[in-house]
Amino acid sequence: MKAANPSPISEPHALRNRLSTLGSAALLFLGIWWAGHNLDGYQTRLLNLVAVNAILALSLNFIYGFSGMFSLGHAGFMAIGAYVSALCILTPAQKEMIWLLEPIYEPLAEFMTPFVVSVFLGGLAAALTSLVIALPVMRLGGDYLGIATLGFAEIIRVLFTNLAPITNGAIGLRGIPPYADAWWNYAWLLATLFVILSLLKSNFGNVLKSIRDDEIAARTMGIDTTAYRTMAFCVGGFFAGVGGALMGSLVTTIEPKMFNFQYTFNILLIVVAGGLGSVTGSVVGAAVITILLEWLRIIEYPMDFGFIRIPGIPGMRMVIFSVVLMLIIIFRREGLLGNREFSWNAFYDFFGSLKKRPDVHLGHLLRFLRLVKKLLAGGQP
Amino acid sequence: MKSLKILAGIMLAVFLAAGPARAQVKIGVYLPLTGQNAFGGQLELDGINLAHQEMPEAIGQKVELVVMDNKSDKVEAANAVQRLIDRDKVVAIIGTYGSSLAMAGGEVAEVAKIPVVGTSCTNPLVTQGKTYYFRACFIDPYQGAGAATYAFNELKAKKAALLIDVSNDYAVGLGAFFKRSFTTLGGEIVTEMKYNSGDQDFTAQLTEINSKQPDVMFIPAYFAEGGIIMKQARELGAKFRIMGGDAMDNPETVSIAGAASEGFIHTSFPYDAGMANMNEQAKAFTGAWRLANPDKEPNVNAALGYASYLMIVKAIEKAGAATPEAITKALAETKDLPTPLGMLTLDSDHNPQMPVGIIEIKDGKRVYLGEVQPE
Repeated sequence: MKAANPSPISEPHALRNRLSTLGSAALLFLGIWWAGHNLDGYQTRLLNLVAVNAILALSLNFIYGFSGMFSLGHAGFMAIGAYVSALCILTPAQKEMIWLLEPIYEPLAEFMTPFVVSVFLGGLAAALTSLVIALPVMRLGGDYLGIATLGFAEIIRVLFTNLAPITNGAIGLRGIPPYADAWWNYAWLLATLFVILSLLKSNFGNVLKSIRDDEIAARTMGIDTTAYRTMAFCVGGFFAGVGGALMGSLVTTIEPKMFNFQYTFNILLIVVAGGLGSVTGSVVGAAVITILLEWLRIIEYPMDFGFIRIPGIPGMRMVIFSVVLMLIIIFRREGLLGNREFSWNAFYDFFGSLKKRPDVHLGHLLRFLRLVKKLLAGGQP
Repeated sequence: MKSLKILAGIMLAVFLAAGPARAQVKIGVYLPLTGQNAFGGQLELDGINLAHQEMPEAIGQKVELVVMDNKSDKVEAANAVQRLIDRDKVVAIIGTYGSSLAMAGGEVAEVAKIPVVGTSCTNPLVTQGKTYYFRACFIDPYQGAGAATYAFNELKAKKAALLIDVSNDYAVGLGAFFKRSFTTLGGEIVTEMKYNSGDQDFTAQLTEINSKQPDVMFIPAYFAEGGIIMKQARELGAKFRIMGGDAMDNPETVSIAGAASEGFIHTSFPYDAGMANMNEQAKAFTGAWRLANPDKEPNVNAALGYASYLMIVKAIEKAGAATPEAITKALAETKDLPTPLGMLTLDSDHNPQMPVGIIEIKDGKRVYLGEVQPE
């Protein structure tokens, strides 16, 4: 998208691809407009969750999948984003009601900003915090970094539990205005995609991948790995904060307990199942996992087969869900998409080949059906 | 991998079975049936199911319960309520154990204008300013005041110490309201110590509390930590009385604390299987429970679930129609409804007025001492 880094090999069909991207973005917003008029509240809620989870997965994938930093501090960044944003959009009257036990820290009581600013501030606060964290821990690598960032997330949670004048402590915040509708969520998702894809396409992205693949080699080439890793960590932290802010507004109530380490693992799960180091994978993973989890609820309904009635077993869908995850990991260790990406060239090539060979229509369909069958059979031929 | 095919078949069958809709009243239930609050959610579901067995019909129509697990998770709670409303088209909802879950679900129900009756979400913020959220339980300020009143008037305690789980919203709220009432009554809070959920060692805090020599220590804890606190307090030679809230109302309290639970007093909702002068509803509930679950003692959470279902069915009958608007209107006017927890009347904030029950552990057995009206 950016002209700042003209690649040495001129990209074929650059204009066509760019127009396709713009066109599909327009199509997405048309889809949201349609969804607003045709989908019920439940479907809309799922669409929103997909967008927010995709933002969170993309931010973690940027840190872990593209920069090779095993970070488990995501819930901490989300908490910061969610709290900062919520404090910016709660009305003074609401704040007076919520802080039941201890009075609110005075300058905060009247402070208010528009939603878009509040989400941005949430992201910014998370990015600043990640900078502070990055300075001491960026020297660590691998599992050590994971443990250090996990510790950081716990510190944030405990701080928020005890800073009652600012965060209302364990009671948390309630009645956060539900501004995060499909428009905002998908606009932020597009913004996240734009920034992350632009970064990855630029030289910055190449440097990050070189550090991920071989840090020593990268350093030998004269790259200041710590500086690059810190920057990548901050970008990831920013979008984690944005995701947290949107999530807070979507659920309308937050408390420190919500942002425990389990939340980080939920996001990590999306990233790994979607494909480490694949932007497409994170978006697809977020959609698949979010919708699958809800769809599996039908398993917990009582089942009436006419001759036998099985009462619903709570928790059953988590069992099935775990089995599905295990199958993904056993048969596709690299996740649903591995590190492959969606590209317009491949997209047009596929349809181009269809156009050239009209007989292939049926063949493709059959191949697709065979693939589905293979997937259903657990990957065995 | 045949099992996957079978699974796909089952799913298809479920889809087909769930297809045709019959004319009936659908009531949704969202409770934490898995996750950290599962023990409470399961008990309440048992109570709701029992009430459903007893009263399977309202205004001549069959009542169907649609049960949703919220996994003790806020996002899931909001999803569950949304699904109940949009997919299952329920006319009213029961739930949930845990105030923060109720707040997440309540926001969704409020937008969709579907009435909800909370089982044991005791935080005042759950119903505050809400048109469609009601509850069958009293609220934390009220319970805190009840505990303080009992400590000050009956136990003649003048000095109280607090030991609070700062990471738990319920404990923080209840502790603060106890403190407020106890000081208003003329008592003194000598010290206020803190811990976090999951802690195992409370000796540092207890030693400090011991040195202040309070007459009573109030622990608004859950039974897992509460039991250990009592044990360690007695091991340190503490002589003061220990009091707790309704979250200690669980058989596990005695089995964890053992002999240290002797003399422990906790507030609860005004129902207990062993209470004297039970009302008709409580007797009916206890009898029905013993019949349905011979191996489990009736518990107050089950009674709350039972009462929640009762409230909705009675509201439907009173309104004469099973529409969300009619039920909401009838629920708001709930007055002198006989439930296992006494005569239930909702105030303008949709909170019931009921006395606070007092339970003491004597010889390892729970004894229902009576009720107290908070001052």
